[in-house]
Amino acid sequence: MPGELSRAAAIVGAAEANEIGYPETPKTALQLHIEAIKNVSDQTGIPISRIDGIFSAGWSSQIAEHLGLHPRYIDTTSVGGCSFEMHVHHALAAIHAGIIDVALVTHGESGWSSRATGGRGTGRPRGSGDPWDPGSLFSNPYGISGAPSNYSHAMTRHNHRWGSTPEDFAHIAVVTRQWATLNPRAIMHSRDVHPQGGPITIEDVQTARLVSWPLTLLHCCLVTDHGGAVLIAKPEIARSLRTKPVWIAGAGESMSHSNMLEMEDFTATSAAASSAAAYRMAGMGPEDMEMAMVYDSFTVTAGITMEMLGLAPRGEGFRLWKDGHAAPGGRFPINTNGGGLSFNHSGMYGMQLLVEAYRQLSGTAEDGIHGLPGKQTKARSCIVNGTGGSLSTTGTLVLVAD
Amino acid sequence: MAYNKPIPDPDPLSKPFWEGARAGKLMLPRCTSCNRVHWYPRHICPNCHAREIEWFEASGEGRVHTFAVQHRAFGGWAEEVPFVTAYIDLNEGDRMFTVLRGVDPNKPDLNWIGARVRVEFEPASADVHIAFWRVIQG
Ligand SMILES: [Zn+2]
Repeated sequence: MPGELSRAAAIVGAAEANEIGYPETPKTALQLHIEAIKNVSDQTGIPISRIDGIFSAGWSSQIAEHLGLHPRYIDTTSVGGCSFEMHVHHALAAIHAGIIDVALVTHGESGWSSRATGGRGTGRPRGSGDPWDPGSLFSNPYGISGAPSNYSHAMTRHNHRWGSTPEDFAHIAVVTRQWATLNPRAIMHSRDVHPQGGPITIEDVQTARLVSWPLTLLHCCLVTDHGGAVLIAKPEIARSLRTKPVWIAGAGESMSHSNMLEMEDFTATSAAASSAAAYRMAGMGPEDMEMAMVYDSFTVTAGITMEMLGLAPRGEGFRLWKDGHAAPGGRFPINTNGGGLSFNHSGMYGMQLLVEAYRQLSGTAEDGIHGLPGKQTKARSCIVNGTGGSLSTTGTLVLVAD
Repeated sequence: MAYNKPIPDPDPLSKPFWEGARAGKLMLPRCTSCNRVHWYPRHICPNCHAREIEWFEASGEGRVHTFAVQHRAFGGWAEEVPFVTAYIDLNEGDRMFTVLRGVDPNKPDLNWIGARVRVEFEPASADVHIAFWRVIQG
């Protein structure tokens, strides 16, 4: 039986910034936020002034002020790329409690532009620890340089424990690229968009430059700009709009650690717990899911996640891609936008998951600016799973079409 | 040549570790209430939440839990690529992170997982000696 919060609110619109990926003129994160917010307001017909709850990964007061809003609910949960799935969870609860009617979940991140202008995210090592992360004093001295250098340890352990191989995981990169070739907004859509764009082979993935063995460059996500925004509303409002509602049937969140030093099992994440909560709220299970949008910071992230969501046996998540089920035309589409691997990844990718899940379940995937019909799936339910930090934090949503 | 990689700036919480490192000893924190060893040093035992924590000299031995080979790095570490990083299961419990020595980074081998390792300390400055782990036979 579904929980009390199930379907207490719906996602009623999802939009992106005008220009994402590698903008010709560098953009600020705030600019990317505002473009997406304006677009989702236009899409749904909900005036920005009607937003009474604001949810962002760290900048809610600045964004609300920029919009001239005085919200009744302010959430700045910022625990990595899954923050946005958690925002949806929190917004659902706030709407159910009657505190707000319309929630804005917003994202803007100039992963590409800030690099181009020499800003943060350039991966320099620090010797001193972060006082908020005492463990960092004992990992920073050892040449770690960002997410790939950590996540590779999980792939090695998975290969050792479950007998998988890097080639097994390479199928995730190859199939995800197939989806990107159907999405003109994907950085890796084609050679016209990017010199390395277009279809790739297992050999391409395995012979690409090593970043952190066993991860080659093509096992790793992109670094781009992105802005995105979704509006969530109570049922009375959701049913009155020109856009189709996508119902939040279930939501859950969890974490296993913050510093990878505390990761007990390198082949498991807290998505087992967050998805259990989401399934319970929805009164549904893995067998009821028809597609998935899962964070693919690295191939290994996506593979392990499918195991955690109960959609593959332990040690065999990669098979959904290797056996072709996740591919265009397959029985269980995964990451239909082309993923963080080949569509867009700005640093925190959870918003991109939400936008695509909304588009697929509302039947508007083709309208993604210049979308092609081939990108549309027939799925009526979608499990969305964000993963943040160093395989640290997870937020899971069960979304269903109207 | 002077040590050209990031040098930690020890904090009060981890002082006994750095004192031990200067003397070539691996010091670990242990809860006096539940006897559990935890790494990194904390203000409270993450297992039973007692605040009485003692430091003791550990065996300095453990086994490789998992590893990776870094082909991209910054600063002084950029000159060392490729190098092997690893999480070490300590004989006394819990885990440490390190740059692993005594293996060939150009021939990564899953059989390194489970290999026995021993700690060694390298002076980075007069005050700060950094722990590295080396694969040993047997
Ligand atoms: Zn204790």
